[in-house]
Amino acid sequence: MSPSSSRGRGGNNFEPLERREVADLWHSRFGGPEDAFEGYRFYRKASSIWVISEADLPNLSYEALGMRMISLKDRPWKPTTCALQIFGRYATKNVVHISDEQARAFLAGESQAMETGCESCESGYVVVFYRGEVLGCGLYSRGILASQLPKERRMSNCMEGIDN
Amino acid sequence: MDRYRDIIPEFERFKEVQSLPLPISARINTLKTDRLSMLERLERQSIRYESFGWYPLGLRIDMEKPGKLLEYLLGYIHIQEEVSMVPPLVLDPKPGEEILDLCASPGGKTTQISQAMENRGVVFANEPSLARIAPLRSNCERLGAVNVAITRYDGRRFPDHLFHRVLVDAPCGSEGRARRDPDLLSRCSRKRSLDIQVLQTGLLRRAVRITRPGGVIVYSTCTYAPEENELVVQKVLDEARLEQFSLPGLKGCPGVTDWDGRELDEDLKHCSRYYPHLNDTGGFFVAKLIKR
Repeated sequence: MSPSSSRGRGGNNFEPLERREVADLWHSRFGGPEDAFEGYRFYRKASSIWVISEADLPNLSYEALGMRMISLKDRPWKPTTCALQIFGRYATKNVVHISDEQARAFLAGESQAMETGCESCESGYVVVFYRGEVLGCGLYSRGILASQLPKERRMSNCMEGIDN
Repeated sequence: MDRYRDIIPEFERFKEVQSLPLPISARINTLKTDRLSMLERLERQSIRYESFGWYPLGLRIDMEKPGKLLEYLLGYIHIQEEVSMVPPLVLDPKPGEEILDLCASPGGKTTQISQAMENRGVVFANEPSLARIAPLRSNCERLGAVNVAITRYDGRRFPDHLFHRVLVDAPCGSEGRARRDPDLLSRCSRKRSLDIQVLQTGLLRRAVRITRPGGVIVYSTCTYAPEENELVVQKVLDEARLEQFSLPGLKGCPGVTDWDGRELDEDLKHCSRYYPHLNDTGGFFVAKLIKR
């Protein structure tokens, strides 16, 4: 019995996905250990992939299962900030480490030129690290890193969070 | 609020405190960090804090907007009123269980439950209002509470399933939030409480029905009116019994057992009332029930 969104609209159900399928997709872009997704289940609803802790779910109508992990709306697929904050730390490629100054711009949602640090990145979505922690998703192309931080997460005027 | 003069101790002080601002408080999210690392981060930034005496993951933070901290974006902390951290502790969820949070948005208690479960098992976070689903989702995602499944039922008609534990943090008159929003009090009255009581009773009755025998139901509100608290709990005592609890370091007062000239069930004294002037917090009511 797969959990479904029973509010009646076709194509709007959570359809179970094979873990292998999602792991392969993710690893193709970010690398990382094979077992990073053990203990999780994956679902597809409309154009998103969702991830939830491993459990049998009763047949209820769901609005959300765990967190939205990947948007398949456009090509290439896009990882969400919240999923990168959990799974991004295992990434072994397409990773960018940024400095204090760059973090300020990233957190403000800005695009910035990257003179160094992105040499090994392919164009596309990257995991943005700051002081060893994942801030979120960036879009890297031709020397420019564009912050993909959702609007409601941006911190433009206040950077109390960056300690000195 | 004068009608509470006989049930609230040190009533004049209670009234005085209503005009004082509420301390800013936050909960450390152990799904993404640990207590010591978080405290070190605050110290490095010279942000003053004080741990709650009754809950080591709760902090009073001496700054206006902790929502602007990087640690907030990273999901290491959640801004949450001190006494609103009580109901999940009383519920005491365990990893691997199925827990229902019947009135979940914006998710402070949902995610506190999730962290107590170490992301194992499932928290069913129910929220009937479509507009309130977005903040609930956003908080679960930011905090990495990845064992939460969100539903949108009328809680009074939540579908059949038997849960290990159910939290009913019911919609209420919110008198206990007056230190944050003084206008709330002008909207509160006995009549309004009696109106909300119908919904609250419907929610609690359904919660008891869908809890496993021996399972725990926690009923909470952030209001003082006995009409929304003890009088609601009394209606389910044929199907569930009250259990006493205490949180050492947080001063609770027993539930009322007579009101408006009426004698109530003696066991209602096992409920806890939290008053702003006794702990320098907001106000809350919490009852712990065991399904018969």
